[in-house]
Amino acid sequence: MLEIKNVHKTFGKNEILKGVDLTIDKGDVVVILGPSGSGKTTLLRCINFLERADEGTASFDTIQVDLHNASKKDILAIRKKTAFVFQNYNLFNNKTALENVAEGLYIGRGLKKEEALKISKEALNRVGLAEKYDAYPSQLSGGQQQRVGIARAVALNPDIILFDEPTSALDPELVGEVLTVMKDIAREGTTMLVVTHEMSFARDVANRVIFMDGGNVVEEGTPHEIFVQPKEERTKRFLQRVLPDDYSYHI
Amino acid sequence: MGFIDWKFLIDTFFVALSGVPVALLVTVISLLIAVPFGFFLALSRIYEIPVLNSFAKLYISFVRGTPIIIQIFVLYATIPLLLNGLFEKYEIDYPIYEINPLWYAFIIFSFNTTAVLIEVFRSALQTVSKGQIEAAHSVGLTTWQAYRRIIIPQALVAAMPNLCTATINLIKATSLGYAISLQEITLKAKVEANFGYNYLEAYLDIFIVYLLICIAVEYLFKWYEKRLSRYQLRLV
Ligand SMILES: Nc1ncnc2c1ncn2[C@@H]1O[C@H](COP(=O)(O)OP(=O)(O)OP(=O)(O)O)[C@@H](O)[C@H]1O
Ligand SMILES: [Mg+2]
Repeated sequence: MLEIKNVHKTFGKNEILKGVDLTIDKGDVVVILGPSGSGKTTLLRCINFLERADEGTASFDTIQVDLHNASKKDILAIRKKTAFVFQNYNLFNNKTALENVAEGLYIGRGLKKEEALKISKEALNRVGLAEKYDAYPSQLSGGQQQRVGIARAVALNPDIILFDEPTSALDPELVGEVLTVMKDIAREGTTMLVVTHEMSFARDVANRVIFMDGGNVVEEGTPHEIFVQPKEERTKRFLQRVLPDDYSYHI
Repeated sequence: MGFIDWKFLIDTFFVALSGVPVALLVTVISLLIAVPFGFFLALSRIYEIPVLNSFAKLYISFVRGTPIIIQIFVLYATIPLLLNGLFEKYEIDYPIYEINPLWYAFIIFSFNTTAVLIEVFRSALQTVSKGQIEAAHSVGLTTWQAYRRIIIPQALVAAMPNLCTATINLIKATSLGYAISLQEITLKAKVEANFGYNYLEAYLDIFIVYLLICIAVEYLFKWYEKRLSRYQLRLV
């Protein structure tokens, strides 16, 4: 469904992405793992044109775009098929939870206001925030804000949702509620590309895990293949570092 | 306080008040002109648009580095010359030296206020995090839609205190309009004082009138800022 090819991106003199390829099928939940600075965020941002790649292509079903030269029209078309959940939530501060979710439907997609609000309420209900329609982001906890962020993505009914470390900015006791919501929407068949350090999510929810290091995809496979039988030395070393000593992997 | 002519004080207070509409008109028109130009040039500075950015910087340092009264004299002297050249070229027969000083006031004060607002808007826009426009883009808004619905409403809240200061400074600066015979508060009261040398009373009146206007304006801004920033209230 989504095929990314040969993505290159350089910041100044640092080559951050060195030709990344990625294929995602409908219904896939793909987790990207990798050490800090390996280019995970940059890759997601290039797919959604929050960053302009130096080279690379993306094909989305029938749409094919050059990640470097895409026109405004192409960019809007790709953004209509994708949604992004940010590490820092990035909710619109001047809008209520409901308005946050409705904005993309009402302004971005041009839906009628009542229609947009109806869909938005359903999305907020799905993430357990039926009580918080009229709360502003400043009145919500981090976990609640991120759930609004997820509702905002889900409401757009995109072909794929890109998650960039959705739980990293949260206090530990709030991580669970967000992961639960993500598991729910994954189970409902949403296609997801998730950068995360939550190994439990990768193990339990993903059907494919990608390990990135130094701007390249080093290894990819099922969670079992990556966690139990990693082939590459770099993957093994990374997993040793991030998994607790007594981490036992059962599948 | 026998040295104050109370009757004159009260009569002149109303004369000074009669200058308020002109002072406010100049203020409002100058703001209306300066806001779009200031905003546009603020964006040019933020996005570092080649020629416009340098122009804005030069313009700001010129306005900041010179007294308003000198800007008034310079523009008041050069505008007629420019117009004269223009009118001669296109053979327009218009008595340049009969132009209502109000028009000069609009030009001079919007020229000055634009420079102030560039910096006000620039710093206000920079308080809005980059994540806001990225989130707007990610849900399919165009850059213009993102500015209109997300960025500007938030930047406006941040800009309110400085906008208030700029507006009050502008109102006070219109008192310099007497230098170009603008029929505003200061000039009217002073003319009144010229007859009997009651300058102290006239200045007191001027003082009070500006004070009242500025207090009212400040109050209005505070009230509006509160309304705009409702979303920042933390209720839980
Ligand atoms: N806008 C930018 N300008 C310059 N350098 C950047 C920019 N964005 C990212 N980088 C650099 O690119 C490298 C990769 O960043 P990226 O955020 O993609 O890594 P990451 O894999 O997401 O890391 P983390 O796990 O810490 O989030 C980093 O070294 C970062 O400093
Ligand atoms: Mg990152």
